[in-house]
Amino acid sequence: MTTPAKKIAINNSGGYLPGLNSVLLGVLRTAAHLNWDVVGIRDGFDGILFPERYSGDGLVQLSLELVETVLPSGTPLLGTASSSDPYHVRTLTAENQVEEIDKSDELLRKLQDHNISAVISVGGMQPLSILLKLQRKGLNGICVPASVENDVAATQLSFGFNSTLSCVVDLLENARHAAQSSRKIGVVEVLGEHTGWLALQAGIAVGADAVLLPEIPYDLRKVAKKLRSKFASGQQYALVVAAEGARCSSHSEPGPTAIAHASLKASLSPLATRAASAHVIQRSGHLAEALALELQRLTDQQTYPLSLGQLIKGGAPTAVDRQLGVAYGAAAVRAIRENQRGVLVSFQPPKVKFVPLSEAINKIRTIPPNSLFIETARSLGICLGD
Amino acid sequence: MKPVDPQNPTGLVLNIQHFCTHDGPGMRTTVFLKGCSLRCKWCSNPESIHPKPELAYDNKKCIGKKQCGFCLKPPFPENAFYVIDGPDDRVHVNWDLASECGQDCASICPTGAIYLFGQKMTVDQVLDEVDQDSSFYRESGGGITLSGGECLLQPDFAAALLKGAHERGIDTTIETACNVPWRFVEQVLPHVDTMLHDHKLTDPVRYRKWTGVDNSRILENFKKAYEAFPNTRFIARTPLIPGVNDDEAHIRSVLAFIRPYKNVIDYELLPYHRFGESKYSFLGRIYEMEDFHAPTEESLAHLRAIIDEQFGRKRAS
Repeated sequence: MTTPAKKIAINNSGGYLPGLNSVLLGVLRTAAHLNWDVVGIRDGFDGILFPERYSGDGLVQLSLELVETVLPSGTPLLGTASSSDPYHVRTLTAENQVEEIDKSDELLRKLQDHNISAVISVGGMQPLSILLKLQRKGLNGICVPASVENDVAATQLSFGFNSTLSCVVDLLENARHAAQSSRKIGVVEVLGEHTGWLALQAGIAVGADAVLLPEIPYDLRKVAKKLRSKFASGQQYALVVAAEGARCSSHSEPGPTAIAHASLKASLSPLATRAASAHVIQRSGHLAEALALELQRLTDQQTYPLSLGQLIKGGAPTAVDRQLGVAYGAAAVRAIRENQRGVLVSFQPPKVKFVPLSEAINKIRTIPPNSLFIETARSLGICLGD
Repeated sequence: MKPVDPQNPTGLVLNIQHFCTHDGPGMRTTVFLKGCSLRCKWCSNPESIHPKPELAYDNKKCIGKKQCGFCLKPPFPENAFYVIDGPDDRVHVNWDLASECGQDCASICPTGAIYLFGQKMTVDQVLDEVDQDSSFYRESGGGITLSGGECLLQPDFAAALLKGAHERGIDTTIETACNVPWRFVEQVLPHVDTMLHDHKLTDPVRYRKWTGVDNSRILENFKKAYEAFPNTRFIARTPLIPGVNDDEAHIRSVLAFIRPYKNVIDYELLPYHRFGESKYSFLGRIYEMEDFHAPTEESLAHLRAIIDEQFGRKRAS
């Protein structure tokens, strides 16, 4: 057996997405051609920082045979890491006190001890920033962009979005049938704090009556007018899809925060007065509740709120995501071979390019006003609330 | 660095809240100290956890890049703040890159959208502010309450503050979970009239799951405190979290623990609330209890009835 020319690692530094194993397949097949050794780090960076937590080891020796036997839709081989941050590792001290410790130096040292020369990290906006910080300390980190909201601006299509979109379409279809059979207005909230790609594309796919987006402040009276006219024409149901970050154009209308803290008072907690807490990011479902209540007032039709929440992160990967995952994995290995350091693998049709991490952070891929999807929605008569 | 004056030590104070009615007997002024040794998932004061001044951001106060934009330039760390393309030009925080920000950054923000939680204060500074409410204390039987965070993690400051309060004739109470070395408890308790202390969970494994540490040292501290300070009033408390500790077995086990001690004069249940949820976003943290709700009135009444029975009293319905 020949000595591997290079040893690299791969981890999932974000949450669960359908088809994460496809990226592994792309990495392994490309690395095999180069005679590179590939290890997987379990649960973000936990596998290397805390090997004692795992039966066997926190590192998984990956082989083509192993990866090819794992179903793309199966449980991610390397786990997930929705809150893995080597700069703030919760630790119990000798004094029995919980503290958040910076273990980034330890992480880099351990990677060096294992002769790992580069890490391919699959993740979205937060892992991207952490990878940049680690890169500034000397790690060669290559990011494969993954996001259910498709909000990473440096790439046209984040891994995981297409599967999530497919899942949302299925669930919205069910919600539409429920609205039809119960003769109500279904108000469905989907993920999308800063951008409404999921809401817009899924809303178009199922023929929603209105779609509310963070990019376009809405006037609920206009939405109600559209719904009233639909009921007046004899159709006894409607479907409204709202991204969780959608905002009303006027403060006099209900926004996502309108009902959330109505009963709160702060006798025990400093700075938790109603005024101070009124703007906060809401937990999933509050927007749907607020919108459904107000639309019921404005239309005199019964409404039902529904939040898809984390449900949309399940399901099987689509063919698009399986291809994209494999392609991203292969491109990440190519980036290392081409001596790229600290880059994000970016799909910019028809090419895959490499974007420096420093240029990829802090940019959200929002829907431009002249987007084809916006034009399509308008031509279909979907009310965008403006 | 300025040397610490042993006669007037400084502490890291999060907030001083006046006219509190739930933090001990009578009308009280509660001084929240910063720093905690637990990580309760339901924590309603997340800004009190870290033992250092901490950057926070209230985007409602931001007037946007066009009108201001100071935070997008040095000395703010590169990429710590940014604006998203779109109709809203208010600033967003990249919490992973903003962590090194300090007082300098906070003072540059003209609208106060960027600010710091926690400031150094001397014992005299705190007591002078607390003393402003002294007439209310006399009328209501109130005084000063030290809370947190974990106030016993700053034992020198806490002891000096409470001693100073006594010297000014002010009644003293502390709120503590007691997850500290015994020497800290021993140092502070001589200056305490009433100690409100948390029995969050009984089982050590479950205690660790929900708070990050097991409770063996905590229970040991409680017992030692009950025995070593017979003239101090102790009031046990449980923050009641549905699905975590709102079961009868937990309440009964706490009662079994405290009832042998006559100086434990009461056991209170504090129904879980979501007041702290908003502050997690100020700090760029995730609120882990988003799917939890307050306990029902029925469940609360049932558990309180068990306590009342043990203390031999009837509650007005």
